[in-house]
Amino acid sequence: MAANMRGLTQFIADIRGARVRELEEKRINKEMANIRKKFKDGNLDGYQKKKYVAKIIFTYILGYKVDVGHMEAVNLISSSKYSEKQIGYLAVTLLMHENSDFLRLVVNSIRKDLDENNEVSNCLALHAIANVGSSEMAEALSEDVHRLLISPISPTFVKKKAALTLLRLYRKHPTVIPAAEWALRLISIMDDQDLGVVICVTSLIMALAQDHLDAYAVCYTKAVDRLHRLVIEHEYSPTYAYYKVPSPWLQVKLLRLLQYYPPSEDGTLRSVLHEVLQTIMNNSAEPSRNVQHNNAQHAVLFEAISLAIHLDASSPLVGTSALLLARFISSKETNVRYLGLDTMAHLAARADSLEPLKKHQGTIILSLRDKDISVRRRALDLLYSMCDTDNSELIVGELLRYLKVADYALREEMVLKIAILTEKYANSYKWYVDTILQLISAAGDHVGDEVWYRVVQIVTNTEDLQEYAAKVVFEHLKSPSTHESLVKVGGYILGEYGHLIANDAGYSPLEQFQVLHSKSQFCVASTRSLLLSTYIKWVNVFPEIKPQLINIFERYRHVLDAELQQRACEFYALASRSDDDEVLQNVCEEMPPFPPRVSALIGRLNRKLGDTEDKRTWIHGGKEMNLERQAITRKTTLGTGPSANGTAAGTADAQDVVNSLAGLDLSSSGDQPDSSRMDSSVVAPPLAVGPSVDRWFNKLTYGTEGVLYEDVQIQIGIKSRYQGHIGQLAVYFGNKISAPLTSFTSTVHVNDSEALSATFAKIPPNMIAARTQSQQLLHVECKKAFSSFPILTVSFLAGAHQSISIRLPISVTKFIEGVKLGQADFFERWKVIGGPPREAQAVFPIALDSAGQLDLVRHRQVVSGNRLEVLEDVDPNPSNLVGAGVLHTSVDGKVGCLLRLEPNREAKLCRLTVRSTSEDVAAEVLRLIERVLRSDP
Amino acid sequence: MIHAVLIFNTSGIPRLTKFYTPLHQSSQTLIQKIFSLISIRPAGLCNFLDAPELEAFLSPKDDSDERWRVVYRNYATLYFVFVVDGAESELGILDLIQVFVEALDRHFENVCELDLVFHFDEAHHILAEIIQGGLVLETNGDEISNSVKLASKARRSSFVSANPLSLGSGGGGGPRSGSIQTPLGWLTDKLTGVATR
Repeated sequence: MAANMRGLTQFIADIRGARVRELEEKRINKEMANIRKKFKDGNLDGYQKKKYVAKIIFTYILGYKVDVGHMEAVNLISSSKYSEKQIGYLAVTLLMHENSDFLRLVVNSIRKDLDENNEVSNCLALHAIANVGSSEMAEALSEDVHRLLISPISPTFVKKKAALTLLRLYRKHPTVIPAAEWALRLISIMDDQDLGVVICVTSLIMALAQDHLDAYAVCYTKAVDRLHRLVIEHEYSPTYAYYKVPSPWLQVKLLRLLQYYPPSEDGTLRSVLHEVLQTIMNNSAEPSRNVQHNNAQHAVLFEAISLAIHLDASSPLVGTSALLLARFISSKETNVRYLGLDTMAHLAARADSLEPLKKHQGTIILSLRDKDISVRRRALDLLYSMCDTDNSELIVGELLRYLKVADYALREEMVLKIAILTEKYANSYKWYVDTILQLISAAGDHVGDEVWYRVVQIVTNTEDLQEYAAKVVFEHLKSPSTHESLVKVGGYILGEYGHLIANDAGYSPLEQFQVLHSKSQFCVASTRSLLLSTYIKWVNVFPEIKPQLINIFERYRHVLDAELQQRACEFYALASRSDDDEVLQNVCEEMPPFPPRVSALIGRLNRKLGDTEDKRTWIHGGKEMNLERQAITRKTTLGTGPSANGTAAGTADAQDVVNSLAGLDLSSSGDQPDSSRMDSSVVAPPLAVGPSVDRWFNKLTYGTEGVLYEDVQIQIGIKSRYQGHIGQLAVYFGNKISAPLTSFTSTVHVNDSEALSATFAKIPPNMIAARTQSQQLLHVECKKAFSSFPILTVSFLAGAHQSISIRLPISVTKFIEGVKLGQADFFERWKVIGGPPREAQAVFPIALDSAGQLDLVRHRQVVSGNRLEVLEDVDPNPSNLVGAGVLHTSVDGKVGCLLRLEPNREAKLCRLTVRSTSEDVAAEVLRLIERVLRSDP
Repeated sequence: MIHAVLIFNTSGIPRLTKFYTPLHQSSQTLIQKIFSLISIRPAGLCNFLDAPELEAFLSPKDDSDERWRVVYRNYATLYFVFVVDGAESELGILDLIQVFVEALDRHFENVCELDLVFHFDEAHHILAEIIQGGLVLETNGDEISNSVKLASKARRSSFVSANPLSLGSGGGGGPRSGSIQTPLGWLTDKLTGVATR
């Protein structure tokens, strides 16, 4: 369209024609003056406004500051002509930022465009919000954006934009989005047919899931399923293949998303994921000729390796990855070398053993001399991460050697890293002191104060080291040019520990004084004042050089610098006191050891992050450092947990507080289980209720098959089979309507996963066709006695989004196998177990059958349905029931269980007694049977 | 997240600049800084520039350990530069640049630097179909091209109704069909032969 505005084209041509920058500026100033005048005169029609705004945009793109046209842009947005509207929006997104005052003026126009039935206008509005969304916009418009995203009639390109717009609003203003509430609805869009929509929604979910791991837990299954379909089943529209790789962006995102969650407990998911990762690694075994194809494949591969490392750093998959990486870091292609080193650093940060990496140490050290600085940086990070006590001398030595020739941009970071490694992996104190002093003299200006503070700290706290440190520092000071940091270290250490070496030849007090004082004239005031302190310490321990020292104090009493002058005066007075005075001695008492504290160096290196941005899932440094960081992050999440949507700022603050108090160990691990439980109860949607739901459920607690749930859309039925501690449930989902149920998701939530595991044999399909049934096999295993029912959550799209949660009739009694016992055996065991606490008893009312008699048949059904063997001829009273069984669990072994049921017709009451070798089991069996008998049949 | 998309030519003149994170310095300083870092890198080095010296320009707060990286690609006389943070896959971004270039090429039929100069608005519209608010919106060439076409159709129809006498008169289809003659046959002057100023 630019070409359709003659004035604009001319303007552009003029600027291009300008030979020198001054002419260009002149032309632009002229034009801007003209535009300003026109705007001031007013009375412009849409076309003219558009033309001038376009010129302003062009000027802006050239990099000039632009201060007019904002108001006109705002006007253009509400134009009815698309071409004017579009330029208006372009100007708004380019010229304004989220804090512009002008944005207030456009909120209403934007809302109008969002509500309009015209998708193209919708898109313009969404794009504008995504680019400049202010907090006002977030509050006013997030509902509208959400509506566009979930509306079934939105075309795919609107959905995509809406998803990313929401993401932007969430990043900027996390509190305006009810993330947990929208979770299931948003996750359901991950099943969309259109991969473009899936990519965008996945981006959105990545951000939300990071902050609401539990609410978004279902996305784990969805992501694995989608990867499986892309990578293994090749199920995607061919247009989404990028140089024959199925949508690498989506794959990368999904692989990254999975790294936000702890590895899944679910065996099925794990094996599917394993297959996916294996396939990705196999695919890249043969590199292809095409650059783009290679790029895309490697992008996926590197993320897959990261995920494999995250899942289990000692799995065979990671072994394969290490081999691949080794090949990459000596690749001819620079990009591949770069990423290979980067990913290896990830491996080093997580792996239990660094052995596989050490094999390539030589190659990595060579990479420090790569021709590309980017690669050199990665190599540095990797060496830093893979250092331990075995190779520290080699690596640090290598780094020191490299430091002298390293790029300036790299030096400060290198110094920090060398200092940290030296401290952390020192095999001997001597080596530590040697290396650090060497570092200080080699890097000079790049040595931050933290580094020399730390040396002083360590020397002060380590008695064995003091004498040696004093000698070495003295030797270093003797060299003709010494850096100021070294003078400071020298001043401090010789002041404190110079007397330890004063009797050795060559280290006499006078020599110490001369060496140190010769440096004084090249130093800044702060260093000189430090030296003055050293001298007063010497006055105390070296009376033989007292005259020289006093002479210096005297001279410094007249310098202009206030700090120096004051010190000199005070020290002079102190030194001139009579010899038998004890003040000097007390003042110059040896420094006490420092309280142990966290090294400030690491703090400086790892400045924390706490934001709604996508996080890295690891940091450079060894395994422990990553564990530490995780602990800190976890504490932080706890801190902000209760306020549901902890704002970004809040998180960062909390982290600051935690960090600054790191030494105090505010371990709040005790609260952790509570809060996680609280979270999950918030997340699970309320259970479906109703008389028939209860009836179906109760019946299934002592039956093996039947309906579990039914409404107008869906029927859920169950068939079950148990043997020992293992059970199998076939769950049937029947679609009762004449349209497919899409985005179908079913998950099982087990409260106590230590005691019971329940996993689907396969990832459930995400669609159930009209009027058909889908069957899912659920494997359950009883590990210990448990007391709560697992919860099945089903959600799907049928017009609107539906979600149903129901208890699954899996109780501890399902894992009981009946035992036949004679009368004598039964009573013997009954007595052996004895009364409470291993006995549980209850008396409760029961209903009689229609004839007013005891419903003995039902009683028998309930007891045997709870899998206890009903024993005949044990109890003389024919109404009474006696049962026995053994509970099988895989962890706690077998638990015997005996039961006696004594109904009384006249009182309409019933006494139930359960005895078991485990108190928990007795109480639980009692509870389960009582529950059913109390209820009406 | 993608923080900025920049296109400048081999003399450092910006042809498209789009920031998704507000800047503190003038964009020109930043572009010159990036240009000075990139232009000295010979071919054959990797496409990623680890640039702590840029953080002062880009990062709003200095307490983040997130290292921003510059991913760039050189096509004839143009540098395509994306500034991204650690959440983006470097190779993914490299692929994305390729997608962007392919989309430009598809729209302008054999794109050259001048297309970006004279049709800066359209270049921005195309970019908007690929990246929105710093996030990847679409990567599928067909989809991008469809959305771009849809928008330009809407624009043309409104343009025609607004200016019945306009030279563009809605005909043609390709963006170059506007009948304004640009002097010196610039439009056929492909990427390689463009004067710097």
